[in-house]
Amino acid sequence: MARTKRDRLITRRIARWIDGRVGTAKFARSALGKVFPNHWSFLLGEIALYAFVVLVLTGTYLTFFFDASSREVVYQGVYTPLRGVTMSEAYRSAIDLSFEVRAGLVMRQIHHWAALLFIAAIVVHMMRIFFTGAFRRPREINWMVGVTLLILSIFNGFAGYSLLDDQLSGTGLRIAYSIALSIPIGGTWVASLLFGGEFPGADIIGRLYVIHILLIPAAIIGLLGAHLAILVRQKHTQFRGLGRTEDNVVGERVWPSFAFKSVGLMLLTTAVLSALGGLAQINPVWLYGPFRPAEVSSASQPDWFMGWLDGALRLFPGWEIRAFGFEVPAPFFPAVALAGLTFALLYLWPFIEARFTGDYEVHHLLDRPRDRPRRTAIGVGAFTFYAMLTLSASSDVTATTFGLSVNSVVWSLRILTLVAPFVSGVIAYRLCRELLQREAGTVVAYEPSGDSLIE
Amino acid sequence: MTAPDPQVPIPTSAAEDDAHGRAERAAIGRRRERFAALSFAVSVVAAIGLGVVYWRGGQPQLEGVFLALGFGGLGVGFIVWAKHFMPHEEVTEERHSLASTDEEMTLFREEFERGEQVLERRGLLLKAAGAALAALGAALIFPIRSLGPRPGKGLKSTPFRAGVRLVTEANEPIKPADLVTGGVLTVFPEDHTNAADASTVLIRPGTAVKPRPGRETWTPDGVVAYSKLCTHVGCPVGLYQAEEHLLLCPCHQSTFDVLDGARPVFGPAARSLPQLPLGIDADGYFVSLGDFSGPTGAGFWDRDR
Amino acid sequence: MSPPRRRRAARGLTRFGPLIVVVVSVLAIVVDHQLRASAAPSAARSANAPSAAGPVEAGRELFVVGCSGCHGLDGTGLRAADGSVLGPSLTASGEAAAYFYLSTGRMPLANPTKPPVRKDPVYTAEQIDDLVSFVGSLGDGPAIPQVQPAAGDLAAGGEIYRSQCAACHSATGAGGALSYGRAAPSLSEATPLQVATAVRIGPDQMPAFGDDAISADQLNSLARYIEYLHHPDNRGGVDLGGLGPVPEGLLIWMVGIGGIIALCVWIAYKPRRREARATR
Repeated sequence: MARTKRDRLITRRIARWIDGRVGTAKFARSALGKVFPNHWSFLLGEIALYAFVVLVLTGTYLTFFFDASSREVVYQGVYTPLRGVTMSEAYRSAIDLSFEVRAGLVMRQIHHWAALLFIAAIVVHMMRIFFTGAFRRPREINWMVGVTLLILSIFNGFAGYSLLDDQLSGTGLRIAYSIALSIPIGGTWVASLLFGGEFPGADIIGRLYVIHILLIPAAIIGLLGAHLAILVRQKHTQFRGLGRTEDNVVGERVWPSFAFKSVGLMLLTTAVLSALGGLAQINPVWLYGPFRPAEVSSASQPDWFMGWLDGALRLFPGWEIRAFGFEVPAPFFPAVALAGLTFALLYLWPFIEARFTGDYEVHHLLDRPRDRPRRTAIGVGAFTFYAMLTLSASSDVTATTFGLSVNSVVWSLRILTLVAPFVSGVIAYRLCRELLQREAGTVVAYEPSGDSLIE
Repeated sequence: MTAPDPQVPIPTSAAEDDAHGRAERAAIGRRRERFAALSFAVSVVAAIGLGVVYWRGGQPQLEGVFLALGFGGLGVGFIVWAKHFMPHEEVTEERHSLASTDEEMTLFREEFERGEQVLERRGLLLKAAGAALAALGAALIFPIRSLGPRPGKGLKSTPFRAGVRLVTEANEPIKPADLVTGGVLTVFPEDHTNAADASTVLIRPGTAVKPRPGRETWTPDGVVAYSKLCTHVGCPVGLYQAEEHLLLCPCHQSTFDVLDGARPVFGPAARSLPQLPLGIDADGYFVSLGDFSGPTGAGFWDRDR
Repeated sequence: MSPPRRRRAARGLTRFGPLIVVVVSVLAIVVDHQLRASAAPSAARSANAPSAAGPVEAGRELFVVGCSGCHGLDGTGLRAADGSVLGPSLTASGEAAAYFYLSTGRMPLANPTKPPVRKDPVYTAEQIDDLVSFVGSLGDGPAIPQVQPAAGDLAAGGEIYRSQCAACHSATGAGGALSYGRAAPSLSEATPLQVATAVRIGPDQMPAFGDDAISADQLNSLARYIEYLHHPDNRGGVDLGGLGPVPEGLLIWMVGIGGIIALCVWIAYKPRRREARATR
């Protein structure tokens, strides 16, 4: 093989050294040559991926300083409004991170903003997949992997902000305990095994720590790997267009264009998260105080991704089922049953839709949302429902901000949450049909010569 | 010579593709290249800034801004590079059938079944191994039992007993005069100020409480005591509205009528707050006459049993 | 403007037009609400000539002009023709209550059908002193408590605040919702004396805390901590109103996801031109 001067570069020599031992050239050639279609909505999943990378990096840094222990200590650090106050080691280490570890606060805040962004990105990515029908055969497995990733990320987010043992997250843990209690038959066991006894116990922080830094991240990394591997194996979907068929994928190669764009997006995502982490205060636990079981603050909300559950808890009336001395407490329905139903429907959606449309074919070409008015209407309606629930979690803050009665706000939201999904679904349906009708008889594609294809 | 910028319009006719057009496109390309280089330069400056800020003791806003500029500069530079200076011709890659060919499936099935048949020749071993795996699997679940104690009477009782004094957070007993009209206090059983299930609100509403049947003696001196744990999902019901005699839970806005046995009048709570029977001991301090009228906190399956 | 620019501008307007309308409407509602809250009867601004008599007498004159319409000429309260209370009796209110309501501008009531809210005080400090003296002379109500924030312990004040006050006023002092349209107000403008008087009298929906619930020392510490909450340590950046996860969630969706999606559109944007094609 003729050696050029370039081949003596250290990078080239290392590459050849590795290849001589494991034979990477063939794989690398195939990987770097892969074609990815170019559309902004195909980058949404990447936002989630890069937010996760930021989470792991900042999270690792935080683990070097955080102490997940419930042992009580008296604070004697720099922040005077808490001097002499009794608190757990966990809370104390969070205060130290925020006040005494250099760059500790910015790392903590970037980590928390990244968690909020991670789940938001998963949700918009999932909506893109839904509205373009990318979950259809052969991608049902990847859809289910994705839903699992959503569930895991929500759990991990909840576990993460509960670690700090502050008043706000401790209130949330109490609610989680009570929701576990509400499970029929075995609820008291679930709650006791989770918390190591009655609330609050001394075990929950330590257990959440292991779950948060090891168990769920490991599961997420594994599932992410599967998610990407399946995507690479099946190749990305694409929108209809010139030269695009069910048997090809048209776009640009990984090397160098797509790789640089992806790395660029990763860097920009990190940049946005860094800006948020330094400029926008999030979760100022030193103002909330350490957790005390008998205390609470108004304006107690969970982070946004738990909002739909909290909103459901606020709206659902006190309807319990009591019989033969047993009861199914009211919170079971808006918390456990709703969550179970939500995720079950999400998991099953590809199969439900296939059953209804009778379409079991392989699809690599995407629908535009307007191409499937019914699916789009259902998606818009469902999104409206969960958005209304999330909004409902802010009922008291909304009431005070706009000078309204919180009771009226709750009643209005109860009605709106049931009505708005249908209204928005119908509007979406009509809009799709309208757009389709307008297209019939107009230009949809162009030839290279500039002549148009009329459909 | 630099590669043609794919984002710059390709000339449609010979007239466009003249020296002026080419010079214009080259100028646009150079401007973009300078912009990308400037982005990278911003990144360098930001990185230096970050080092300086850290060395000088750190400051969250500066750290965030420099991190953002550092990463952002790199990111913008890479993307401008990719958008304007990398090939954009569309490449087509053929898809191949994802499923295995019939031949591969047949081969796999034959080889696998050959192995399976070897196993099935030893039926006894197969069944015994299955039993062992199942038994071991079941046994390995047992350590989960150690995660927590059997949920027992603890859920249905608190440290309040007949004669136990009520105390503040500072473990100090309370006399009726300590509570002014329209006043509220959070209290606990004596020596159990950490009991998370026993936090109690002590209220002097200033208006007569309408007692539930059997609770006529529970409110000495016009003072009433209810469990502070919301019967919805257990948040402390910390808001007392003195004019309307309502206890409001901030979590999900369950509202309880203090004058009517803490009956829920709004919100998702289904049960009244359990009431604590109050008495006054020989020294004039508040004591409980027994445990609460029901289990405190959120409901559970066998709460009523 | 060149035609393409004009077209882009027009497109931008149609895209953002509805959003602009919504934002302006919301702003209008908020501004109107604020204006109404600070509206005050025009009566008492016209300063009375300083009286040569003592504070109680000066207070009585002010009272007759500005307060007797609801509270009666002698402060014993007035009922309307149908028996409903126009203004309650002030004989048991004491100086503390008078000081609280007048210095926070809650009285005179701007809108008698709505609960009192803080607004700019109608009376000057001297006038308030006079009125306070007068109301205090009506009966045996609580005197204005002594409060010295500097003598208080900040950390102890924080503990008291979180255990007694945060449930209604929120951990950051931003205030919170009560039932049926009432709200525990924000404490951002509460002076130590206003805090002390409110704690002792329990105005409106607020419960009252006597000396045995919150001692004089504890009151000093509490006032000191609430002063701290006026300018708390917000080293993390902009505090988004001190309302917790709600504004944080709004921000991540608008700036975080919204911003990054905008970046994605930029990254993937290709002007619609002829594309050369190559086959692998």
